[in-house]
Amino acid sequence: MAALKQRSSSKIASTIFLVLIGVLIALPLVGAAEFSLREGGRSKHSFHAYIWIFQQEDFLINASTTLEIALVAVVVTFFLMVPTVAWLHIYGKRYLKFVEILTVLPLIFPVVALATGAALALPAWLQSTKYVLSMMYVVLAMPFTFRALDIGMRGVQLEVLVAAGRSLGASWRSIILRIITPVILPSIFAALFLTVALSLGEFTLAQLLHWTTFPTWVAVAAQGNILGATALSVGSLLTAWILLFSFTFFDRKTSRTQEDE
Amino acid sequence: MAKDLTLDQSLLEAEETGARNRTGFSGLGLKKVSPLFPLIIFISVFFFWPIGAVLINAFKDNDGSFTWANYQLLFQEPYNKAFYNSIKLGLISALTGAIPGALIAVAIQQRGSVRLKKLISSISGVLANTGGVPLAFMFLAAFGPEGLATLACKAIGLDIYGLGFTLFSFWGLVIIYTYFQIPIMVIVFTPALESLRREWRDAAYNLGASNFQYWLRVGIPLLTPSFVASFLLLFASGFSAFATARAMTVGNISLVPLIIGTLLDGNVTVNQFNLGYALAMGMIVVALLAMIPYLLIQSRTSKWQR
Amino acid sequence: MTSNTLELRGISRRFGNVRALDNFNLSLGVGELVALLGPSGCGKTTALRIVAGLEREDAGQVLLGNRDITNVPAHQRNMGMVFQAYSLFPNLTVEENVAFGLQMRKVEKHKRVKKAHELLNLVGLDSQSKRFPHQLSGGQQQRVALARALAFEPEVLLLDEPLSALDAQVRSNLREEIRRLQLSLGTTTLFVTHDQEEAMAISDRVGVMSHGKLEQIASPDTLYNKPATPFVAGFVGTMNRISTTLNSGRVNLFGKSIATIAKEDLTGEVIALVRPESVSVKTSTSNPNATVITRSFLGANSQLTCRTNDGFIVQALMGSHESGELHPGSMVTLEITSEEVLVSHV
Repeated sequence: MAALKQRSSSKIASTIFLVLIGVLIALPLVGAAEFSLREGGRSKHSFHAYIWIFQQEDFLINASTTLEIALVAVVVTFFLMVPTVAWLHIYGKRYLKFVEILTVLPLIFPVVALATGAALALPAWLQSTKYVLSMMYVVLAMPFTFRALDIGMRGVQLEVLVAAGRSLGASWRSIILRIITPVILPSIFAALFLTVALSLGEFTLAQLLHWTTFPTWVAVAAQGNILGATALSVGSLLTAWILLFSFTFFDRKTSRTQEDE
Repeated sequence: MAKDLTLDQSLLEAEETGARNRTGFSGLGLKKVSPLFPLIIFISVFFFWPIGAVLINAFKDNDGSFTWANYQLLFQEPYNKAFYNSIKLGLISALTGAIPGALIAVAIQQRGSVRLKKLISSISGVLANTGGVPLAFMFLAAFGPEGLATLACKAIGLDIYGLGFTLFSFWGLVIIYTYFQIPIMVIVFTPALESLRREWRDAAYNLGASNFQYWLRVGIPLLTPSFVASFLLLFASGFSAFATARAMTVGNISLVPLIIGTLLDGNVTVNQFNLGYALAMGMIVVALLAMIPYLLIQSRTSKWQR
Repeated sequence: MTSNTLELRGISRRFGNVRALDNFNLSLGVGELVALLGPSGCGKTTALRIVAGLEREDAGQVLLGNRDITNVPAHQRNMGMVFQAYSLFPNLTVEENVAFGLQMRKVEKHKRVKKAHELLNLVGLDSQSKRFPHQLSGGQQQRVALARALAFEPEVLLLDEPLSALDAQVRSNLREEIRRLQLSLGTTTLFVTHDQEEAMAISDRVGVMSHGKLEQIASPDTLYNKPATPFVAGFVGTMNRISTTLNSGRVNLFGKSIATIAKEDLTGEVIALVRPESVSVKTSTSNPNATVITRSFLGANSQLTCRTNDGFIVQALMGSHESGELHPGSMVTLEITSEEVLVSHV
């Protein structure tokens, strides 16, 4: 009993601390949410600010632009990263460390510097399509997508499964369809989800390479309408949370280990 | 018969080592790693090329010959001030993010509730990636003259505007940056806390250490490298941030990302090319000074974090 | 601090709906090495951690000598504990690890370094004193952990499956070393393990546990030859379970009538429990009653798995030199050599 007396008193302290911090962190959020629901002053509240962005002329154009860019980024990530990481695990384990370091590099270098180099050095023909952003986003997402795929494949020991499949006489087509893909599907989803999340919210590269995407357009459109801008911000935050929760819910269904105290 | 056998054998060998043609590329065995080519080519075009261009061209002048001139520019007004501000912003926001963040992570870890951890992890994940523009607008709304946060402060007797507070200042920026630095810290520092094995705490107690002594002699020494590494990561993050700064400043604070932004916004003349490269290179150098120790510490501490 | 007696009185502990310990009683004499043996989840580790103060009990008392230490916090209990693995502090050298307990007791530096070296010598690792834990092998780390636990001369030594994470060869060497140290220092020791061979090999007494209760506690000999319950009989060593009929206190096995020991009043269909070494195998006979299925060479002995003509699987142990001729398919005659067999209900 006495051995744990400390625990309960520090538990109270940590609870108070966490609640305090929680309040401080929630304050801007709640304040912004409240502000965004206002209609003409503090007394009236409605959702009219939230509808505002949908009523903007350019909403559809820019939203679809960003979606297209995100889609291309996802497709490129899928066809580039999945086979590569799979090959590394099955045949090229000794090159894993090298590639891991390679994919971490985008994290080390500031995006602004990367944007500068891209804007000034990449040829005009390359920069003339908005999908150049997709390619850059694939690079920006690489540290995370590689990690997601790597951990997933490591967890199931993909190379062992493939070797077992081969020894049982499966063709490569069978192996890819029946063994590799189903088993690492959660990791693939994680990687693609990360890519989408990054693409939808990315501002810096799009701005510096002079492309109008949803985020950059919002920044401009919202300048004149603080209410709408706030609604957008709160809305995007909530959307991100909903997406994240639904993703983790899906993830839980496919993961096996339940670690409880 | 014997001949057929040897042929089969060598085919099998070739399949196993993944090298179908050893004579390609003058025996360098490059065909072996050819599956890696797509990735390497892709990264080269969309990453190494831009970055390489920055690093190389920063030291070239208009004729293409080597020069220190661009580099020296960085130490002159107004660019040295910009670097000073950016570095200051990075350091301070790293501090205001690292300390509360570490305390939050410890508080959560000590409670041991898996549900709480997952909740905080989701919240942190979203807040950490809430950069830029949405964050700026949120703060403007909440801390505006009519904002809820301002009124809440008034309620406890703090008239922040009366005291000269404005978000459009260096310290306003620090406050906003802290908002995403804290979640980043929670995310990055928690693995270090989780790597503190229960056995060490149990063994320490068993050997006669009080809670305080355990933290003093075992806990904190083990956590310090990770704390430093996380701090460095936060610094790099605060130093390099662009979107929020752009949304918040009306030209009154000089920061390196903003200068680059202005530069690239206009029609860039040849001379400004050099300036752009130099500034970007400066950013890379500062960021690397933080990130390389970060990576080194992370790989070193993973030895006992297995 | 010299060694002391240890007693657990009426300890109970639940985790949610599971009763980890149910009115558990255990008593250790000074210098005794008692093992708590049982499958995962039987409560042995919980009992140990309650003794150490790292876990709290719902009811009951822990007594050290005559002192009730139930409410004494873990860091004041003066017991040395060795964990399964990874318990050495990674940021301290081997020497600093071993001296840690003394450092907490405010022993001055040169004295505790001296004592640390003394103990490292006892476990043969003095040369590694300046190294860090991650530079040592698993077996070496456990020996350092042992030295660390004993450095401050605790009244009781607690071992939580210290050998489970080690290779077989290292395991048997280290368990001998633990016993040797424990005997020479005379420290009362409580040793938790799921490996019955380990427990039987070095303990003064072994307590077999199941579902939070002590099934039997006795010397290894008694446990092996006179198991009190079917669980103990099955858990300790190998045991044949042969269906047979009980009539007036006797059973008929392989044509021989044998007396029985039963825990309860049984008649009719029962299971006879027979050790492999009590089954004799005769090779050249006229009336074979079993066929050999497999023969496992275990060194001095060989284990034969046979199928009787009635269809039961029986394991017999015989000297390897006698079993040389036998192979799968050989016809043999089995016979029970013991004078009594334990029987349990079906």
